[in-house]
Amino acid sequence: MLEAWYLPGLEESPAEWLEGRTRAGAAFRAPTLSVDRARAVAGAVREAVLKARTTRSTEEVIGAVARAAGKLSADGPESVAARELLRTELGWNERLVRETLEGMARTWTHEALTGLVDAELGGTASLDGFVADPQWSGPGQRRRRALGSPVVLQVLAGNVPGVAITATMRALLVRSGVLCKLPESEPGLLPLFARLLAAEDPLLGDCVAATWWPGASFPAAWREWAGWAGKTVVYGGDVTVEAVRRSLPADTEIVTYGPKTGVAVVLADSLPSAAAGLARDVCAYDQQGCVSPRLVYVVGESTRPFVEHLAASLEDLAEQHPPPGPTAAEAVAIRAARAAFEFSGYDDGRSAVESPGESLDWTILSSEDPAARTESLPRVLWVHRVPDLQTLEEVLRPLEGRIQTVGYCGTQELTKLTGIGARLGVSRIAPFGSMAWPPPDWRHEGKHQLLPLVNWTDFETLE
Amino acid sequence: MTSPRRAAGETFDLLSAELIAAFNGWRPGLSSWDESTLDAWARRAFQLQFEGNTPYRKYCEARRVGPSDVNGWRDFVPVPTEAFRVVDLLVGPGVDPGLVFRTSGTTRGRSAQGRHLVRCPELYRASLRAGFRAFVYDEDNPAKIVTLPPSFTHDADSSLGWMLDDLRVGIGLGDGVSVASTAGIDWGKLDTEVRESAEGGRPLCLLGTTLGFAEWLDRLEDGRSVASKLPEGTLLMDTGGEKGREGLERGRLLRGLEDQLGIAPPSIVNEFGMTELLSQRYGHGDPAVPLIGPPWLRSIVLDPVTLEEVPRGETGILCHFDLANLGSVCAVLTEDQGRAAGDGIEWVGRTEGAPPRGCSLATAELLEAQGNA
Repeated sequence: MLEAWYLPGLEESPAEWLEGRTRAGAAFRAPTLSVDRARAVAGAVREAVLKARTTRSTEEVIGAVARAAGKLSADGPESVAARELLRTELGWNERLVRETLEGMARTWTHEALTGLVDAELGGTASLDGFVADPQWSGPGQRRRRALGSPVVLQVLAGNVPGVAITATMRALLVRSGVLCKLPESEPGLLPLFARLLAAEDPLLGDCVAATWWPGASFPAAWREWAGWAGKTVVYGGDVTVEAVRRSLPADTEIVTYGPKTGVAVVLADSLPSAAAGLARDVCAYDQQGCVSPRLVYVVGESTRPFVEHLAASLEDLAEQHPPPGPTAAEAVAIRAARAAFEFSGYDDGRSAVESPGESLDWTILSSEDPAARTESLPRVLWVHRVPDLQTLEEVLRPLEGRIQTVGYCGTQELTKLTGIGARLGVSRIAPFGSMAWPPPDWRHEGKHQLLPLVNWTDFETLE
Repeated sequence: MTSPRRAAGETFDLLSAELIAAFNGWRPGLSSWDESTLDAWARRAFQLQFEGNTPYRKYCEARRVGPSDVNGWRDFVPVPTEAFRVVDLLVGPGVDPGLVFRTSGTTRGRSAQGRHLVRCPELYRASLRAGFRAFVYDEDNPAKIVTLPPSFTHDADSSLGWMLDDLRVGIGLGDGVSVASTAGIDWGKLDTEVRESAEGGRPLCLLGTTLGFAEWLDRLEDGRSVASKLPEGTLLMDTGGEKGREGLERGRLLRGLEDQLGIAPPSIVNEFGMTELLSQRYGHGDPAVPLIGPPWLRSIVLDPVTLEEVPRGETGILCHFDLANLGSVCAVLTEDQGRAAGDGIEWVGRTEGAPPRGCSLATAELLEAQGNA
């Protein structure tokens, strides 16, 4: 039984439990949280945050957070435990788990976190005190300070591992504490990180509380937590966001990160070798990330040459890097999607399916006609031909604001593609092979990572 | 029964005529269809479908399966039900189907309707009536058939509506009645049938959807319809399941009907059919297990990922073989979960759409919501 909770401030050991299972079938539990206990936890987190603000510099926080996170991927017993946890929770193989953890960990290093604070806040100084504003043109001086609210509420509904840690780090960096609802599909990694953080610095460990309860409902303990939070961060679909919004006081600020899709564009002068990079992007996170490519557009005459290269690359990766295997529902949906494209192809010759026979290891559904319909299925790509980029923009317009990443290969009309990306609200345009691994200071969903969490205080003087 | 053989100059008409005769001649317990008999029919059916159904031939060829590979019904390449949404699967070419049945409902954010072209309605009818006589209706004690069509059977091309109409006119004494009105069910007319049956002593054979019977029970319980103890021999066959009405439990429905009308299992039969399949299965009582059918309808249970047959009793995806589908494709891979049970199968449920994975957006539902799909 996995322990899906980390709750500082509980005076007694929990006696009543809520039990759940991840999609891969791993059993986990979290304590039933009464309102009184929820209040005690929130109070403990707030107290720890306020104390840490006066006794730890932001630089020290970054150091502790990076050391704790580093243990999840460096050689050592902690990383062994982390990988074992993810294998159990997600049903992933060792290689996929290791690659995912290492990829995430690149954004959790001291250097990456410092770079993020520098990029968004000009350094840690403004989090520790007032900093002179060189842009000030009024009389005297202006100094500014950035600070998060003491407590941030987090709801994690997705199941990409590590997202809960990234979200928690962002809050800790702006000197907030965290009250978190863990995702059902991957509830264990954040509690593990919190324990490692507490081992580095017990006071910082007390700035994080996380637990789980079943379903999309919000129990009384949650409403208690909501009363302590200055800001709320939600990772989840429209339904989750709406449910959270309804459960919170009307004036609570909410920062949302919703499901997104990845679009790959094969420009007219692309080289076949690009397919290998795209295949790697597909396999990362088991294609569950908002950055994962799912829709591919080939600009030009035919999808055929690129599809053949992509099929070969996916086959290579399936051998080196076997996929975890679909659920029954996914298997049924993949076969239905394949049947639709295959039989349509027999009818009009304009669509086709590439797959390793009846195996569901990977699937390419290709069509010579533009479309943008996809389903959330493992290692399944929809490849469409578009005659030109103008058509591409028209096809993608219904997805405006829902595309996280546009990957590309080739250079022909790349500038035009970047214009389309900006107009469609795409948050990142990157070459094949790097779609799945955005840099640490990437503007996730087109938003700053830290700025939405801070409140600025301006201090003006006449001299 | 004559032994099927590969006739020289095989044609659809010839084979379907032989099958109609075989279906009509079948009596459970009296005439058996052993595995080799079925396999011989299956070989001939595959030859016809491979030659005459172009999309199916291409599907088989892509899997390197041809007539020489098919020695029996288990060797058929099954077609996923999704194919019926995409192409017309008809043994032709250049023939007009005698009937067109449309599938209803939405699958995984996709509302495209499928259709099953029925080349030979007589073959369908022969299978339907043979199964109904064998598993539901006692012709030595001919109950009066009363059909309760739900409103959607008024839509054109409903296989369910066609089935109820055919049974009403073709089974028993031929005096069956439909209690249809333009708005759905004519409740007054149903009350009259119930009253006449209760008073006159002739049993009824009530055919309708599970939802239609649920609506009737609501009316019986609040007094809008007449409750009477119906004579012994009365039968009730429901079909379609509880889908579409939240909170409806078939068990509660059946107990209610027993209280109101005195009909109890095994006189309550659940019919299991699908548009893509022209033969039916029937289950008695509650739960309706096992679902049994005529010997030309076979079902196997497959692992959804590997498509290997699962050990007996385990749940998997149902794959059916039906000789009544001679005019389209005999082997159909469904999205239904089920398991082997007794001499038949147990239907466990539809495979629900895969839940969203991680934070990867499925655009299908978004586009559907925007009307762009």
